[in-house]
Amino acid sequence: MTPETSNPLLELKNVIKYYNRTTPALADISFSIMDGQFISIIGPSGSGKSTLLRCINRMIEVSSGEVCFDGVITSQLKKRDLRKLRTKIGMIFQHYNLVDRLTVIENVLHGRLGYKSTMAGVLGRYSQEEKMQAHRIINILGLHDQVYQRCDQLSGGQKQRVGIARALVQNPRMILCDEPISSLDPNSSKIIMDLLRSISREMGITFIVNLHQVNVALKYSDRIIGVNKGKLVLDGSPDQLTTERISDIYGSTAKDLMTDSEERYAAG
Amino acid sequence: METEETINNWGQLCSDEMISPDIFGSGRPLNRESFTIRIFLMTLSLLTLYALFTMDYQGVDIAKATMDTLHNFKIIFMEPSTQRLGLWDAFYEVLITLGLAFLTTLFGGVIALFLGLLSAQNLAPRRITCCIKSFVAFIRAIPTILWVLIFAVAAGLGSAAAVIGMTFHSISYLTKAYSESFEELDRNVIEALSASGANWWQIVFQAVIPSSAAYLLSWTFMRFEINFANAIAMGAAAGAAGIGFDLFMAGGYYFDLKEVGLITYIVLAFAIVLEMIATHMKSNIHQKA
Repeated sequence: MTPETSNPLLELKNVIKYYNRTTPALADISFSIMDGQFISIIGPSGSGKSTLLRCINRMIEVSSGEVCFDGVITSQLKKRDLRKLRTKIGMIFQHYNLVDRLTVIENVLHGRLGYKSTMAGVLGRYSQEEKMQAHRIINILGLHDQVYQRCDQLSGGQKQRVGIARALVQNPRMILCDEPISSLDPNSSKIIMDLLRSISREMGITFIVNLHQVNVALKYSDRIIGVNKGKLVLDGSPDQLTTERISDIYGSTAKDLMTDSEERYAAG
Repeated sequence: METEETINNWGQLCSDEMISPDIFGSGRPLNRESFTIRIFLMTLSLLTLYALFTMDYQGVDIAKATMDTLHNFKIIFMEPSTQRLGLWDAFYEVLITLGLAFLTTLFGGVIALFLGLLSAQNLAPRRITCCIKSFVAFIRAIPTILWVLIFAVAAGLGSAAAVIGMTFHSISYLTKAYSESFEELDRNVIEALSASGANWWQIVFQAVIPSSAAYLLSWTFMRFEINFANAIAMGAAAGAAGIGFDLFMAGGYYFDLKEVGLITYIVLAFAIVLEMIATHMKSNIHQKA
């Protein structure tokens, strides 16, 4: 190990994941990510994007290889330390995964549970400071009129913003997004992506975003990682992503792909 | 030519053609289902006829027996009154029965809450859920009264055996109901919370229970009603005191049909009140949900 001036925030070394004995879901994936980058992972359905994302915060255990976050090798962490690690990594989902029957503020405060003792979490005792922070984030995301509304009364875009607020209230170093705009209409999609981008810029949070929409990935990312059949097939800046490379990733000719109209397609 | 052959083959696989439609001489098409139903009905009617002709009436006059029964019903329902049991006493005894129902539902509910969490597939490993679910199914398959009698071996006939036995059955019933309510919550929500560092207990109390609270309440009240009915029966059958025991004494020992009638009306009144509360609560829940 040579000391470097800036260590990568996240480093994956030869990560392999097998769900069954025959085909690997992830085959020998290695890359490293610097602080503050906005990274998209693209690839066809079932290519291992979601698995890759979940291996980072150990929602899924890797079969072999190493995931190193902020200088800590995650696979060696014990339960308590794993919780501490997860508080530093926020996560946003395609289906928002909020507790529908609870209000916006309650859902947002769930992001603080990782910092609390079991008892305080069970009783739902949040400090004044935590509540103020939650309200501040809700205001920033433009949800101040919905603070005490139940989440099942919100629109898709609003729900996703609650999801983002829940991740932000964790004070994360990095946020993982699993297809954050796949269930949203084009308009909300743009609002959400703009939000993620500006959060990344202003708060210096690293983002790793799984995307189905190649044009969105091109527009917003600093760097694009392409995955196909569990293999890393592309790693570079958006301008390196030519139509040829896209067809490599998706395994079909470029003109068969709905690259431009994909946003509309996703909304339908 | 080839297509025709295939279609013909399909036709032969269908059961309609296997059985000739003319066995019973009816013109209606006969498939396996209606054939089974017919056989079943015929067997039942034959058995009924056989039973009617071979029954030993031991000199009971059917007409007179029916009249006597109706006369008894008239006394029970038209002339309720009391000699031994004061109205206030009766009320107090019903309170005891309600207490029995409340206690068993409370014990059962608290224990079932934890067993329910452990047997919900989205919260516990598959092996544990399977173990608990089959264990509870076994308890549930045996009626409450049998459990009370089983525990009466150790505790002696009385309220202790009734409480333990009814609690036992309530646990199994509520565990199933609760765990199914918990399973309503999407796995992904649990994933989201554990990804943010929350641990199992926090997820349970912050997400799982709040989202299933309405169901839990509704099931618990349902069980309370069942336990109220059970508690009356236990009073009579297991000597667990309460209004059931008075009913048993009035009917079985004193042959005081008027008092039986009064007790029946009191129990009915309480059951209606419980039902009304339950309906009110459920409509509140539906408004909220």
